[in-house]
Amino acid sequence: MTERAEQREERAALAPREAREMPYLRAIPRPTPWPIITAFGVTFMFAAIVTNIFVVVVGAVFALVGVIGWFREVFPHENVEAIPVADCEIPLPPPEFAPRPKKTPRNVVPERIHPYRSGVKGAIAGAIAMAVVAAAWGVIDAGSLWLPINLLAGTVLPSIGEATEAQLKTFNATWFATSVGLHAFLSISVGMVFVVSLPMMPRRPLLAGGLIAPVIWTGIAWATLRVVNPTLEDYISWPWFLGSQVAFGLACGFVISRATMVPLQVGWSLERRMGVERTEGDES
Amino acid sequence: MQWAISVDHKKLALMYIGAGLCFFLVAGLEAAFMRLQLARAENDVIDPETFNQLFTMHGTTMVFLVGMPILLGFGNYLIPLMVGARDMAFPRLNAFGFWLFIFGGLLLYFSYLGADGLYGAGTAPDVGWFAYAPLTSRTFSRGNSTDYWILGIMVSGFGSMTTAINFIATILCMRCPGMTLMRMPMIGWMMLVVAFLVLVAIPILTGAQIMLLLDRTLGAHFFDPETQGSAILWQHLFWFFGHPEVYILILPAFGFVSEIMPTFSRKVLFGYPLMVAATVGIGFISLGVWAHHMFVVGLGPVLDSFFGATTFLISVPTGIKIFNWLGTMWGGRLHFTTPMLFVTGFVAMFVIGGLTGIMLATVPLTWQLSDSYFVVGHFHYVLFGGTVFGIFGAIFYWFPKATGRLLDERLGKWTFWLLFIGFTLTFMPMHVSGALGMPRRIYTYEADRGWEIWNLISSIGVPVQMAGVAIFLWNAIRALRRGPVAGDDPWDAWTLEWGTTSPPPEWNFDRIPTCTSARPLWDRKNPEDPDAYYE
Repeated sequence: MTERAEQREERAALAPREAREMPYLRAIPRPTPWPIITAFGVTFMFAAIVTNIFVVVVGAVFALVGVIGWFREVFPHENVEAIPVADCEIPLPPPEFAPRPKKTPRNVVPERIHPYRSGVKGAIAGAIAMAVVAAAWGVIDAGSLWLPINLLAGTVLPSIGEATEAQLKTFNATWFATSVGLHAFLSISVGMVFVVSLPMMPRRPLLAGGLIAPVIWTGIAWATLRVVNPTLEDYISWPWFLGSQVAFGLACGFVISRATMVPLQVGWSLERRMGVERTEGDES
Repeated sequence: MQWAISVDHKKLALMYIGAGLCFFLVAGLEAAFMRLQLARAENDVIDPETFNQLFTMHGTTMVFLVGMPILLGFGNYLIPLMVGARDMAFPRLNAFGFWLFIFGGLLLYFSYLGADGLYGAGTAPDVGWFAYAPLTSRTFSRGNSTDYWILGIMVSGFGSMTTAINFIATILCMRCPGMTLMRMPMIGWMMLVVAFLVLVAIPILTGAQIMLLLDRTLGAHFFDPETQGSAILWQHLFWFFGHPEVYILILPAFGFVSEIMPTFSRKVLFGYPLMVAATVGIGFISLGVWAHHMFVVGLGPVLDSFFGATTFLISVPTGIKIFNWLGTMWGGRLHFTTPMLFVTGFVAMFVIGGLTGIMLATVPLTWQLSDSYFVVGHFHYVLFGGTVFGIFGAIFYWFPKATGRLLDERLGKWTFWLLFIGFTLTFMPMHVSGALGMPRRIYTYEADRGWEIWNLISSIGVPVQMAGVAIFLWNAIRALRRGPVAGDDPWDAWTLEWGTTSPPPEWNFDRIPTCTSARPLWDRKNPEDPDAYYE
């Protein structure tokens, strides 16, 4: 008799009469040597390739014996061990919760957010402000309105690196379309970052979004522009660049911060999010 | 004997982890010998042939016999307990998988005795853990040590696949009442994605290994360029496995962090749904980045750009996780116990490894740094600073559950700081020596290259790490013999494994629990303010 079986009998003998009569309702698989024997056999079958052909015979015998033993372990009935636990088939009931308070004692941060559409609007405002500053630099400092536009296109068009200064200062439809598309894409991306991050900025979000973030971004651009857009690096004026970033940040942040905030929709049903179903807690 | 025939997921898990730790010591010794050789220029402690064997066995062991089994072991231990099940879906298959891993590992190491070497002596594989063709062809790899590498890894790979099947079936079919997928502990998600990655990646490696075996034993020419085969094909197949493998090794550690950090920040995990989405996203994207290991092959600008872009892309969901962990800690009541120290160290080290990974995703930079010590430094920051730190954090966190005993906190902190300092000493200078041009896998170097000081610092870090591991082993042995009793829930945690005894009975739970939120134990402990109201 195994040690476990002895313990089980001891427990049964010590238990009160009702417990002894209680059926063991749950079973767990009994320990079995067949998996290890099968694994041993499989390994030996492969090991034969680097040892001796007779090893494959030994491996095959072990694997076959293991597989047969394993098969008999689960068919026609699984070899299991009963466990002495009453009511084990009945899941533990969930705890009794206190009545739900009308107002939650918890804070969900952020409780209210700017609507995503305000991010797009802010991005458009920021993009225009940035373009104005960049155009001003082109006209006042660099002598061409088209230079900043063409330089921006150089981020994705490596061929611009081979253009002469005269070419960079003249209108080129492909470069113009590329530059406008890239500017729109980047502006909307940054606008979306603004819209989700502004409510999390401590105290003065416009200061953080409009001044600190552009300064950090300009620092990153200063460090990496040689790799990202070497042509722009050759022509760039860093004070004007910083000015354009600040213009974007202030304009974008201003538009977003003026938008009416909406409650966070985490935990709402799909119907409620879509506005199909209005419930008591709905503030809109 | 009871352990050898056991099909209990907890015993198998402990055997996985124990065996993995034994292999960890072996792989650590191999690394220590390599660092001893490289500590000085023109050193001659180890000959070049032995050095080749050492880095091959170290890499192979750490990936296949340390990382995978320990992480699969944790999955084995935790998944049924965390989802409220009595065992894995297929307990006997689970045992079969474990023993295949063990026998595969033993077969690999038997090469030291059994493989054909010079003068009839044994010889270990020496073709690197990646086993690039045509180095593995009969022409360049005489004897059968490479065959041992193939077969050992293949057999243990079969075991990993059976375990993955078990994980998927258990997670999808055996969760307790009330535990929807979005209430599952984050480890469950990590292990689910890992299991799918194993089932996609490992068969590719197995197939490639069978092709290589055919090349070597039956004269096929899959990877032989001289007979219309393709050495590049091996690289594609190997790295199609190899890069998901990196995520197989790191995702479970992400899971550990996602469980440990909330407990010791006394807050819920920040952004659970986004964490889930990021995990699934990483799983998908990781299948499309493999050729960033092959930028120097000359795949052409289109493929280089594509794989560079996908590699950049995978940093997005990974970054989401980093920010979510920081968000979890932000404003929490932080308790820097040993597990928390390890997972915090994990985040810091993994960020460094991740950032150097982004650097290496830039094709021109990889052209400069490929096969240099910079790459060695990078992946050790990911796999040691990441995975191994995560494993240590997990060991310290769940040791009380598995054994019923608490590890000593003071010794634990010694372990952490020694490992942290030793790790930084060893691997940070590798970025410098690599940037200075030191190629990886060289057994020695000339004295006038400016690499000596960096190599010396790297080597000094090794005994510091060994001291940390030795203290950990002493701590574990002492705790098992006379450690303080842990109780069922020493960390006041919220997932289901802490709701049963320490150690749990063979059947895990007397009665299957009912899950009411993502923190079921919180709800039981705080019925006046349960999470159930807010999900």
